[in-house]
Amino acid sequence: MSMRRALDSGLRLEVDRITCDAYGACAELLPEGIDLDEWGYPIVAPGNVPLHLVELARRAVDSCPVLALRLVKAQAPIAVGLPPPAPVLAARPDRTEGTPPWPPRPASKSPKRAPGGRRPR
Amino acid sequence: MTARLLDGPVPAAGAESLADHRARLGDLPGRAERSPLIAMLESAGLLGRGGAGFPVGRKWASVAGRAKGDAVVLANGAESEPLSHKDRVLMASRPHLVIDGLELAAEAVGARRGVLYVGSEHTQALAALERALDERAASPSRLVPRVPISIATPPVSYVAGEESAAVHFVNAGDARPTTVPPRPYEKGVGGKPTLVQNVESLAHAALIARYGDAWYREAGRAETPGTALVTVTGGARPGVVEIDLGTTIGEVAQWAGVTAGEGSPVLLGGYFGGLLAGAEAWRLPLDPSVLRSHGTALGAGVVAFMGDEVCGVTTTARIMDYMAGSSAAQCGPCVFGLRAIADASARIAMGQARQDDLPRLRGWSQSIAGRGACRLPDGATGLLASSLRIYDADWAAHQHHRRCLVRSGMARATA
Repeated sequence: MSMRRALDSGLRLEVDRITCDAYGACAELLPEGIDLDEWGYPIVAPGNVPLHLVELARRAVDSCPVLALRLVKAQAPIAVGLPPPAPVLAARPDRTEGTPPWPPRPASKSPKRAPGGRRPR
Repeated sequence: MTARLLDGPVPAAGAESLADHRARLGDLPGRAERSPLIAMLESAGLLGRGGAGFPVGRKWASVAGRAKGDAVVLANGAESEPLSHKDRVLMASRPHLVIDGLELAAEAVGARRGVLYVGSEHTQALAALERALDERAASPSRLVPRVPISIATPPVSYVAGEESAAVHFVNAGDARPTTVPPRPYEKGVGGKPTLVQNVESLAHAALIARYGDAWYREAGRAETPGTALVTVTGGARPGVVEIDLGTTIGEVAQWAGVTAGEGSPVLLGGYFGGLLAGAEAWRLPLDPSVLRSHGTALGAGVVAFMGDEVCGVTTTARIMDYMAGSSAAQCGPCVFGLRAIADASARIAMGQARQDDLPRLRGWSQSIAGRGACRLPDGATGLLASSLRIYDADWAAHQHHRRCLVRSGMARATA
């Protein structure tokens, strides 16, 4: 299957971790970009939301019962404020293991989910 | 070992009085003779000493560059890292140097209020700072404009030292982190842009204001200039020492009278840090930029030698339990993830591992970082990941054979 490169929306999903209460609606609506951990809390795919999924992402945002999910403009890293912590391990990947990347845009409109979608759990 | 912050009487002699402080270091230069301090801090290359190592000059510039209104400076002396003692030693022995730094910062960023944020358990430091404020109130010198300075004392809690937690405590009496942004430099104490700066960083700034950036850069043996306070444990002479940045881990071991063999595991940075081992690790210079290129960090300046008789699995399990108990109970991945990690680690340590405990621990060590409002889960899982690597054989023996390599007298293979 040939893949078209997904267009970048310039937006990314942000979870307010304090507000989030593991309702899981976001993962229902946007399994392409949101997985749930074993306690039901979201693991968001790294990077920006591909353009073709922005509408679904908005619906996921709107459906959160506690309004913990936001779609925000991706910024260059803030020049000020604390940088990511120190830490400590070269070996540590900069994203969570097993978090699927955003899937490429499917070539056809086939309902089949693109490979690299939600991780089987 | 270059003494700058700790030059003068030994810290055990107690707080230096204002008169002694002035006699030893001289007064701060008057406003007219002072170079613009922010530019000087930037060219000095001073990095923050609270753990993240952010450039101090750039941080001050970000608050000074706000669009309007006044600002607040919060001197962070929470020192909630259990293995660290350097901030309380500094505050208790050199209170005026810390307050000099706070007043200079307030002047430089245009703040009208200062807060000394000091862990309530640091009683000697608190007494020294209170007395120092009284001494200054009674003294006529007005070389640096005074700002009203209050003391805030958060309860004993690991997350209390995080900068958004510090602001939250001063604003609302709740020393738990908040969701950022907005970050304190945008909206902090009283809703005003707030410079949150570790007390050691402020003390260095007070010396740079006196002696200049070129002087500051004379110390340091590798890439990052200057000196740093580090807390060393695990040897015959534990304590706080001021080192030239770039001093090697092995040299610190020698200073502290560490008897464990060269290359034995060392915890760098504290509970937020990571474990290193091997002769090559002992030759690493304690220098933020060199350490970063090796995937590690000095963090809050803790160098804790583990010793060969210590079971790394048991020690890690204890630390994980502490970290889980330190969760502010706000974010799900931290509340559930750190507890699960602590419980599985404890089972493995006690020889009661369930079949999948170790693989699940490996998974959690990667899947929880970055998913809290603060960096507590990142710190805990970073340390766990380093332990799984350094003490690989120990974890495996505990998990699969329910035996401890240290207790059973087997030589431990270090990475």
